[in-house]
Amino acid sequence: MHGRRLFWVVACSLYVGSFGLAADQPPDLPTTKHQVTGLFSKERVPDLEKIVRQLSEIELVRVDFATAEAEFRYDIAKVFPNATPEQIVERLDQMLRNASRHTFGIKPLCATPREELERVEIPVLGLDCKACCLAAYEAIYKLEGVEQATASFKEGLVVAWIHPGKTDVKMLETALKQRNVTLKESARP
Amino acid sequence: MRRPTFLCSGLPAMLLIALTTRAAGGAAPFLQMHCAGCHDGATKAGGLDLTALALELDQPENFSRWVKVHDRLEAGEMPPKDQPRPPVEEANAFATQLRQSLLEADRRRLAAAGRTGLRRLTRAEYENTVRDLFDMPGIALAGELPADGSAHGFDKNCDALDISHVNVTKYLEAADHTLDYAIATRPMPPTVHKRRISLCNAGGFVAHVVLNGDGVLLVDKKIDPEFPPSGEQGHIDEGAHERMGTFERGSSVGLFRHEDESLSPYFIDHVTIYPGLYRVRTSLFAFQWDQGQVLPARGTEAARLSVVQLTGDGRGGQHPSYVLGYFDAPSLESQEHELVTWLNHNELIGFNTASLAPQANYYKKKRAMEFTGPGIACDWLDIEGPLYEVWPPVSHRRLFGDLPLVKFDAAAQAGTRPPLRKQVRQLSGKNRPDPDAGLFTVQSTQPLADADRLLAEFLPNAFRRPVPDEVRADYLAQFAARLQEGDCFETALRYAYRAVLCSPEFLYHVEPAGVLDAPALANRLSYFLWNSLPDARLTQLARSGDIKRPDVLQGEVERLLQDPKSQRFIDDFLGQWLKLRQIAANDPDKKLYPEFNPYLQDSMVAETRAYFRELLEKNLDASYLVRSDFAMLNQKLAAHYGIPGVVGSKIRRVKLPDGCPRGGFLTQAAILKVTANGTTTSPVPRGAFVMDRLLGQPPEPPPSNVAAVEPDVRGTTTIREQLAKHRSETVCASCHAKIDPAGFALESFDVIGGFRTRYRSIGEGLSAERGAIDPAIGIGFKLGPEVDPQGVLPDERTFHDILEFQSLIAAEPRPLLKNLARQLAVYATGREVAFSDREEMDAIIDRTLAEGGGIRTLLHELVQSPLFQSN
Repeated sequence: MHGRRLFWVVACSLYVGSFGLAADQPPDLPTTKHQVTGLFSKERVPDLEKIVRQLSEIELVRVDFATAEAEFRYDIAKVFPNATPEQIVERLDQMLRNASRHTFGIKPLCATPREELERVEIPVLGLDCKACCLAAYEAIYKLEGVEQATASFKEGLVVAWIHPGKTDVKMLETALKQRNVTLKESARP
Repeated sequence: MRRPTFLCSGLPAMLLIALTTRAAGGAAPFLQMHCAGCHDGATKAGGLDLTALALELDQPENFSRWVKVHDRLEAGEMPPKDQPRPPVEEANAFATQLRQSLLEADRRRLAAAGRTGLRRLTRAEYENTVRDLFDMPGIALAGELPADGSAHGFDKNCDALDISHVNVTKYLEAADHTLDYAIATRPMPPTVHKRRISLCNAGGFVAHVVLNGDGVLLVDKKIDPEFPPSGEQGHIDEGAHERMGTFERGSSVGLFRHEDESLSPYFIDHVTIYPGLYRVRTSLFAFQWDQGQVLPARGTEAARLSVVQLTGDGRGGQHPSYVLGYFDAPSLESQEHELVTWLNHNELIGFNTASLAPQANYYKKKRAMEFTGPGIACDWLDIEGPLYEVWPPVSHRRLFGDLPLVKFDAAAQAGTRPPLRKQVRQLSGKNRPDPDAGLFTVQSTQPLADADRLLAEFLPNAFRRPVPDEVRADYLAQFAARLQEGDCFETALRYAYRAVLCSPEFLYHVEPAGVLDAPALANRLSYFLWNSLPDARLTQLARSGDIKRPDVLQGEVERLLQDPKSQRFIDDFLGQWLKLRQIAANDPDKKLYPEFNPYLQDSMVAETRAYFRELLEKNLDASYLVRSDFAMLNQKLAAHYGIPGVVGSKIRRVKLPDGCPRGGFLTQAAILKVTANGTTTSPVPRGAFVMDRLLGQPPEPPPSNVAAVEPDVRGTTTIREQLAKHRSETVCASCHAKIDPAGFALESFDVIGGFRTRYRSIGEGLSAERGAIDPAIGIGFKLGPEVDPQGVLPDERTFHDILEFQSLIAAEPRPLLKNLARQLAVYATGREVAFSDREEMDAIIDRTLAEGGGIRTLLHELVQSPLFQSN
């Protein structure tokens, strides 16, 4: 399992794209794909773009909301001199967190194939408010075994992709309730 | 430090003999014949045994007893009406003889002891003096000084102004605090920042309550589309909202909730680092909230801005230090307000939805979505500062002139101790201090000469009079000694200034005996009308001696009254004369008076102050003290009084409808509140207040062995019924015949000054109508027995209600004017008006009445009188 995860990380870190070049970055720079935390709804994509624009040395090339993955372009030697791939993720995460007041972050790409993850849906009640969705998202996204999550009170749904052996829907529900998220009564029998 | 007030044993024996001989020869038979029947050792009516009361007028207690005898006789109160009256000639002869004896004794006393004893500055005088001396108009000092005593109704009286080691310690601390603020420690002024702050700022209380339905975010007077109001589902996680910038998008913050025990709204983004003047602007509007809809408001609402002092002990920030003002919030139309105010370290701006009723939605199932009612929205608050016209600031220049501020060079000044800098911790806020510029201090190339020059400029201002060279030399010697010991120039001179601020010449009013010299007269005038030291013009007039000229003095009275600093006089004088300082001494019972709130209380005080200002400015006569055809009102107070058509929070002159008893002090809510206990009213304290404060006839204190009348809030018996029983006691009857009538007339007003025809009750009674009470306020009280405001004055004149009572009192303005003159004289001169001053007081009243009887005329006549101009 660990080996497969490492493969994905390395493969994605070395991914070179040929699209979306920004004018302020040399055209020959490769793009790098990372998983983005804080992308709990589609409305967050413009927010991410706005935040990354504040980071002068980083360019956001593409965002895939479905997988919460994004391609970035930066000059490793300039922005992260002498950093290992793990350190690059750590430092980029810190930059994004600082710029977004800890509402966005970076983590390594998921090493587990998506088909091996379980998609869990939890119906919830709440206000159609972005900050409330962030609160619900933050209640679960850091839990052990949660790979990706979204939260939308407008749709009344919290969705998570989890590692079946590491967590389960009950644990997610407990975490949500602890954050004062109201679960729809019909959510669980 | 005080001079003895009375000669206790120094009266020459010959004089005593003369007085007692006179009493024995002329007075004793009169007393024996007409008074001793009741006031002998056996009967001792009113606790007075005239047969044992020697005419030893050098004894203060004895003297005052004889004054009472004289006054009762002169007023015709004694002998009582049901007793045989002495022949008029005989009574007059006795009164004249007694008066003469009293006058002679009193004049001898004053000649020996001085009229006004040596007195220190009161707390308010001290604070104002420092503020004006250093041009630091808001430095807070009074609160740290020990409370002043009070004598003859005022804290300015020399009999009340003692001093202890506690005072001295506090004066040292205050001097250090003053110098810390006054001395510039940087070459450039602090950077002026302008910050726009949302009421819903992170870390404050408001964000929390808005998340839970006690407020909403609005954009363009509509619900913020990105922040739906809390309903059955509330917002979760305040921190997530802060991080998402929910409260930083420029939305207006609408509040439904009033400040209460767990909510203290304030703009915590700015917590003052640099004391100084700041420009504060805010934009407000009102709206009606109807379960998710924003609608036009019921009218103009009022929000309060205040200054809140944060403290490091975790208890700060809960209550405003002082109110900046009340500001209008019109319906769905933003109105901007601007003011410039001084802010001290760790002070910030507080907010309250002042005109709203107490209201909370957070505990309701559907929170804001089931609430219908008024709200006040704050679009933003701008704070800009600190603002300086010059740098170094005036405060620094008054200490160090134009000497340059240079970087302290330790190497070049080996052996010289650098100045110490006090570090003040900023307790919160997003504003940050400027980068440290290093250690800067005042530089002098000729320290002794500069220090002498600076002391020569500073000392006369601080001491409020010319300062002899030898006094200045003492302070210069202190400076030189510190310099010799290794202090830098700034520290050494600061030491001398600290000594100045703790010296008797600074802390005391220095007034020569006899006729005041020019500086003393200027000081007396300035501390009377500004409660502070003379300004440059008045000082110049004192130096030239022109202030002694009546026309110049009159002009200065006018100038001082027109200056904004005269508000200090009005606030301080009314605070004591009419006891406005006690306005918050009790909180009205919430069940009986649910409509009471701080906005109403502040409006009450504002009315009384504005009314006195109006009396002065328009020079109205003394009848206006008790009866008026206008009142000074704002919307809140007008609604409380049932007067329609007044909109807005500002106090303004309002013509009263016919038959309205409001206007004069007698029926102002502030007076009616300070004379009640928060639960019930009693004719006794209110009557005593009117007798003492308005009519100048203070009643005797109650006998210690008579139980007080206990209030009955169950609504079964009225206070009049209880008092009737009380008055049946012979020992009580005579005093209550004088005290109670005014109190009975004022029974038409409840403890918060509302007009009533029935008493409120929390027990039995009729259902109460809401009247002007806010619909959001629940009513739990009932209506008990009817109020009976009738009464009979001691001279047998009767009245049926407050209007008739006002007419009776207003018909005789002389006692009202005389009392006001006495109150002003005590306040201005710092001593009681003596028996021997009565002729002069009468002359002042005569001259005032001859010129129309106006109150400003009275003030001029007082200032022009020997009473004011002598010591």
